[in-house]
Amino acid sequence: MARSLSEQQQTLIATFADQPEIAGTLELVWRQARASMPPGLLGDWVAGCRDIAARVGSNAAIAFLRNSPLVAAAAGPQAVAELAAQAPDLAEIAGGNAALALFLAAPHAARRLGTPQSFAEWLRVIRRIAETAPESVGLLLERSGRVLDSLDLRSFETWALGGIRAAENDPERRLRFFALLDTQALHAIEHGADSVAFTDVERELKAFIAALWHVTPPVRTLPAAGFDTPRRPCFSNGVIRVPQSSRGIDGQSGKDLFRAALAHVLAHFQFSASEKFPLGSLKPVQIALVSLIEDARVEQLAIGRFPGLRRFWLPFHLADASGVVTAPALMARLARALLDPTYFDTHAWVNKGRDLFFAERVRWSDPAISRSIGGLLGNDLGQMRVQFNPRTYVVEPAYRDDHQGLWDFPAAAGATAESLYESVRFEQSESEPADREREAAGAPANLARLTPEEAEVGVPVARYPEWDYLISRDRGEWTTVLEYNPADGRAEQIDDILERYPETAYRIAALVRAAKVSRPHRVRRQREGDRLDLEATISAAIDLRAGLTPSPNVYARLERRWRDLAVLVLIDASQSTNDIVKAAGRSVLELERDATSLLAHAMDGMGDPFAIHAFCSDTREDVHYYRLKDFDTLWGALAKRRLAGVTGRFSTRMGAALRHAGRDLAACQSYRKLLLLVSDGEPSDVDIADRRYLVEDARRAVLSLQHQGIDLFCVGLDAGGDSYLTRIFGRSNVIQLDRIERLPEKLPLLYFRLAG
Amino acid sequence: MELDDFRIGEEPYYRPIGDEVRLFMAAYAERMPIMLKGPTGCGKTRFVEYMAWKLERPLVTVACHEDMTASDLVGRYLLDAQGTVWHDGPLTIAVRHGAICYLDEIVEARQDTTVVIHPLTDDRRVLPLEKRGELVRAHPDFQLVISYNPGYQSVLKDLKESTKQRFGAMDFGYPPAAIEAEIVAHEAGIEPAVADKLVAIGQRSRNLKGHGLDEGASTRMLIQAGRLIAHGVSIEAACQIALVLPITDDADIRGALTAAITASI
Repeated sequence: MARSLSEQQQTLIATFADQPEIAGTLELVWRQARASMPPGLLGDWVAGCRDIAARVGSNAAIAFLRNSPLVAAAAGPQAVAELAAQAPDLAEIAGGNAALALFLAAPHAARRLGTPQSFAEWLRVIRRIAETAPESVGLLLERSGRVLDSLDLRSFETWALGGIRAAENDPERRLRFFALLDTQALHAIEHGADSVAFTDVERELKAFIAALWHVTPPVRTLPAAGFDTPRRPCFSNGVIRVPQSSRGIDGQSGKDLFRAALAHVLAHFQFSASEKFPLGSLKPVQIALVSLIEDARVEQLAIGRFPGLRRFWLPFHLADASGVVTAPALMARLARALLDPTYFDTHAWVNKGRDLFFAERVRWSDPAISRSIGGLLGNDLGQMRVQFNPRTYVVEPAYRDDHQGLWDFPAAAGATAESLYESVRFEQSESEPADREREAAGAPANLARLTPEEAEVGVPVARYPEWDYLISRDRGEWTTVLEYNPADGRAEQIDDILERYPETAYRIAALVRAAKVSRPHRVRRQREGDRLDLEATISAAIDLRAGLTPSPNVYARLERRWRDLAVLVLIDASQSTNDIVKAAGRSVLELERDATSLLAHAMDGMGDPFAIHAFCSDTREDVHYYRLKDFDTLWGALAKRRLAGVTGRFSTRMGAALRHAGRDLAACQSYRKLLLLVSDGEPSDVDIADRRYLVEDARRAVLSLQHQGIDLFCVGLDAGGDSYLTRIFGRSNVIQLDRIERLPEKLPLLYFRLAG
Repeated sequence: MELDDFRIGEEPYYRPIGDEVRLFMAAYAERMPIMLKGPTGCGKTRFVEYMAWKLERPLVTVACHEDMTASDLVGRYLLDAQGTVWHDGPLTIAVRHGAICYLDEIVEARQDTTVVIHPLTDDRRVLPLEKRGELVRAHPDFQLVISYNPGYQSVLKDLKESTKQRFGAMDFGYPPAAIEAEIVAHEAGIEPAVADKLVAIGQRSRNLKGHGLDEGASTRMLIQAGRLIAHGVSIEAACQIALVLPITDDADIRGALTAAITASI
């Protein structure tokens, strides 16, 4: 036996005869291998090693030597045999570097997977990926540890194959995906098997907040942080940020954790003072304790109002009076002692904190007590010489926020970050814009984003006549409409609008839903109706004469049953829309955007065909026309980005834009066609001095479109006089708004007209 | 008497919130048509019943629906073996015999239907029966009361200006918490402390109006929940049956409501 062992060792050394400098390594690895593998398999191992050295190269063989004992220790010697068998094939498909990466990734995968079966399965998945995306397998292996930490093997395979499919045979996109530069790739990992994505529970939890406190604060998700960084919710300026996903703790689901977190932050919103605590000369440990007392204080106040909230928070308080006495452990115990009336602690400091806190019961409404009790306890903790490391401190329990929103950071917050337990979080907030850029770059928007920087190029698409009221005739082919690529803004801005007016959005959606705009149909043979159905009546009379029981369905009525309506919303994007509407304190353009978003949201919900276009003009030769959304495109991120990106420039040559929009609408096959102009009211252009000229032209355009069976309607967003708009559209076709909330009140007018 | 069936024998329970009773008496003295505005289940119908009892007038109630036509109100010719025969509708009955006619949720009815009440609601006080060629003059005791839910989200069913302006209006809302608890406790026969909790829960659901619910839980719903509690059902189960499940089919909103109820008790 001993002879054969040394023979194998001889063979091994002979394999690397050309590299005498690794002799020491060989010796070490040999010993490791003997410890982790049964003697019977050592021969195979050496043979595999020789094979790899011959087919892939000695570098790969050395990597195999170094890593295979670790694999054997974690997933059994059988796994090493599989590894040795698969590696040369992989090298043939994807190159020697892929094999090298495989050996480097193998120990981590073996530890994570644990059994030779699943390790072999992992190798199979890697091979499958190598066959479809050979260029990416190296990257994938490099990242495989991180991905496997979040996903099980099955999800890993789905994730990788999904990435390959999403890249649609574009190697570059695959590389981005496997380098985890693709937000989709990260997102998929974040939403690993057992975790709950916030977006999946967002609606319910927001409704929960609204039910309890009657507020709807915006909730955003935090950008993905490192995998080992515990993420805590945070809030600032009324915006709540929560992790993208959460796994839940100790039998509580991720949803429970999100709910507890939101309930906690809302308790801060309700009961924490509006001015934040000044940092002053407080030490990190005192800051942590003041925050802890403040957390407990607002929770107690919230429980006073809603006693059941305790049930949402308590399951996350897992600390108990055992284990090592460290600062974080004591703080977690104190946090529990302050919330859980049934909890008893043995530590004098925890009990002192509890006594101090409950002694101030009557003054709980005063945030100053957090400051005084927290400061006191911080001193005590300092004197106990318990270590508090601000760099590693993470707020416990997991549902509580990171305390950043409680403190008034001086302007140069980054500089003081070191002295707080803030380093992690500052890194997070700094990485956020970078992340957003990355997201934007990943979206197909990046092309359009570049356009504004280059000189804008419009494509001339049509020439229209213009009406000159002085000579009472059309000037033929007088204006030129150029279509430009719309600039991009942030799609979130549009979603924010919907969030800002939830009630209005809801009412408008309901209004649109209720409107039945279609050709009236005569419904015959009804039990009830506004007139007799002659045929049915005659047959009933015949039945009577014949002695039969007549059918009672002898009425007819007219009904509008369906919706058959195409809407084109035309947004005035001229310079004047940057003016502030006094009553609202916001610019006309912002209100236009709000109104359009709300309407679009409602119409999209109903599946009505609608388009959103915008216009402005720079002389009659250059009427800018932007197609933000067409009838056949979706109301999705692209349309929203474009709507958000509309800026107010140049002038308002309304007539030309109306004619152009009308041409689009005329092509629609709907029973009713509605052109909805959202404007601030005054047509003008730099090449026209006579104010009446463009008003008359627009009026002419309106009349001619009405002849074509298009309904025109104008939403005027101007607190001032409405003389221009009523002159152009007619009194009954204009609604004036100065506050967006009034839109649902006014909208019925429009539908009355269409249904009438 | 023609309308004995429509008389209200026993005093209905009604807990006045302001001086709505006195105001209504004054309006009735002038036979002024009255419009009661307010969300569903806040006590509009109960108020009218109470007033009819107090004024000792018969009450003809019509629940309006979207397929209701003018002939459903005024009457119609029906076919019988000999030919056709005229039947008075509920409005005509009330007009002829001097009742308070209460058109519940008038906005539900179609626009053209509501126009038939116009001649009744100005100083003419007549009801023309076009099809029959008859002009019915209103009995001196006749009064028209309609209810109208402004939160109701239907465009085509908003009242016409010309209809609105004929009415005096009284605004009903859910009563203040203390009074609502008193009402719930009385109607359901439960302890005031439990009624307080139910009212707090009701408040939570009303916060969701516009955030997924058309309307929050009405006082009526809270009373229903209370009645279940009086039978020994736990608050949570009672709220689930009487409140969460009826009010919405949306799983998210149900989840939110259930959590809010848990938080409140």
